[in-house]
Amino acid sequence: MRDAAVRNALPARLLADAAVIGVIAVWWLGSRNLPAFVLPSPWATGEALLRFFTDVKLMGDIAATGGRVALSVVVATALGIALAMLPFFLPVTRDIVRLRILPFLNAMPSLGWAILAVIWFGVSDVAVIFAQTAILVPFCFINVSQGIEEIDAELLEMARSFTRRRGLTFHKVLIPAVAPYVVAAARLAYGVSWKIALIAELFGSERGLGFVMYQAQTISDPATVIATCLMIVLVFVLGDVLVLRPLYRWVSPQDRNKPLPSL
Amino acid sequence: MRSLSLNTRRKLAAHLFVAAVLIIWLFAALRLPGYVLPAPLTVLEQIGAFLVSAKLAGHIAASIFHVTAALVLAFVVGTTLAVAGHYVPITRVLIGRLAAFLNSFSSIGWALLAILWFGLNDASVIFVIGIIILPIYMINMQAALDQLDADLIEMTASFTRSWPRAFSLVVLPALYPFMLATTRLAFGIAWKVALTAELFGGNSGFGFLVNIARQDIDTPRIFAVIALMIMIAYLADRFLFAPLERYLTRHYADA
Repeated sequence: MRDAAVRNALPARLLADAAVIGVIAVWWLGSRNLPAFVLPSPWATGEALLRFFTDVKLMGDIAATGGRVALSVVVATALGIALAMLPFFLPVTRDIVRLRILPFLNAMPSLGWAILAVIWFGVSDVAVIFAQTAILVPFCFINVSQGIEEIDAELLEMARSFTRRRGLTFHKVLIPAVAPYVVAAARLAYGVSWKIALIAELFGSERGLGFVMYQAQTISDPATVIATCLMIVLVFVLGDVLVLRPLYRWVSPQDRNKPLPSL
Repeated sequence: MRSLSLNTRRKLAAHLFVAAVLIIWLFAALRLPGYVLPAPLTVLEQIGAFLVSAKLAGHIAASIFHVTAALVLAFVVGTTLAVAGHYVPITRVLIGRLAAFLNSFSSIGWALLAILWFGLNDASVIFVIGIIILPIYMINMQAALDQLDADLIEMTASFTRSWPRAFSLVVLPALYPFMLATTRLAFGIAWKVALTAELFGGNSGFGFLVNIARQDIDTPRIFAVIALMIMIAYLADRFLFAPLERYLTRHYADA
């Protein structure tokens, strides 16, 4: 199997690249026979995508969405850590967190948060950030508590036998042990956040990429809808490569050479 | 308090927590206007309305239908693609790339495109839910195929040269537990995504109701829909997926 995989690596890659070209060709042919409000041509979509790099207002929309994503990831990660740490320091709260708060947050539809946020906070940045944070918290919680569970009990015991200062144990043992999971949690939240950013923005905002997309849909401009989706993928990958991957390698030096899972 | 075991105290704490949340909700609702935070009893009344009104019950059925249809479609297409990627190695990169693309595409983008392509109807909703959970099936079934016991496959190859026989008698049964686990995960996501898909592209279901309630600022209705959705998701997981998973694991996991 492994030999076959190696032998097939180049043809498989070629086929994948050929397929991309094929899809664009079919898309182009299809768009010639279909009206532009159903399927825009690849060029029209490309033009719409280029506008994100030239139009100052659209750049502002990217910045608005990006800022909300960054802020909600930070807040959700902090809340996730707090929720995951609570049973660790206060064992009696374990069932509250695991059997009550977490299943509830998990089962709550993201759209529900978005609509409630608009009712509660009006059309504002606060509404969007609240909705996104509420959606992201369970993802962060699960990852961080996995990290806490995997802390070696003997490692903690050893640390305690060296020092009685809890602050020092916390700083030298607990934080380095949990940090990789925290960053992994933030990374996961970041991936989810870009996908749901627009849901929250459709109802709770007057700028940002979700707003751009919704406006494009109401005037039947699918080129801009598709271009916005592609732009999101682009910004998302950029943020992952420039910020989160380096951060992950920094907090977990032992995994430096391991390939990171793609999101 | 000290004499109780930790487990009992944990359970007690969880129940007390729920009671405290309800009491806080009750008092907060008294002080806040009904459209911001409806009283628990008002929400309960609304939930009751779903059980007696045939029209509202019909919307529940519509949502269940949308999710089920999307799950079936995504299951068939996703599993087929994963099997193709596994047995026709040359397509593996292509299918991996497709999964990565689908996985990073915004769900709202699909919803808005579906309206333009199919209009406001069941097809739009099923398409949106289906295409959002499709990469989950592709990625998970591919991982499952990769994890199959190599010795088992070798043994099968020594018994028969007929690929369809080997596939249907050995590989497929070995995949059942993975299929169910993936469906369980996909159901949880599909059920939540259904609300988005129906709100933008549907003319029936929970999302449709929420959209009307949102325009009327009918907050009790929104609370009731969310509560019902959480209840149905819980019931399905507890009484459908969990027993099925136990059954399949017992019969096939050791195969």
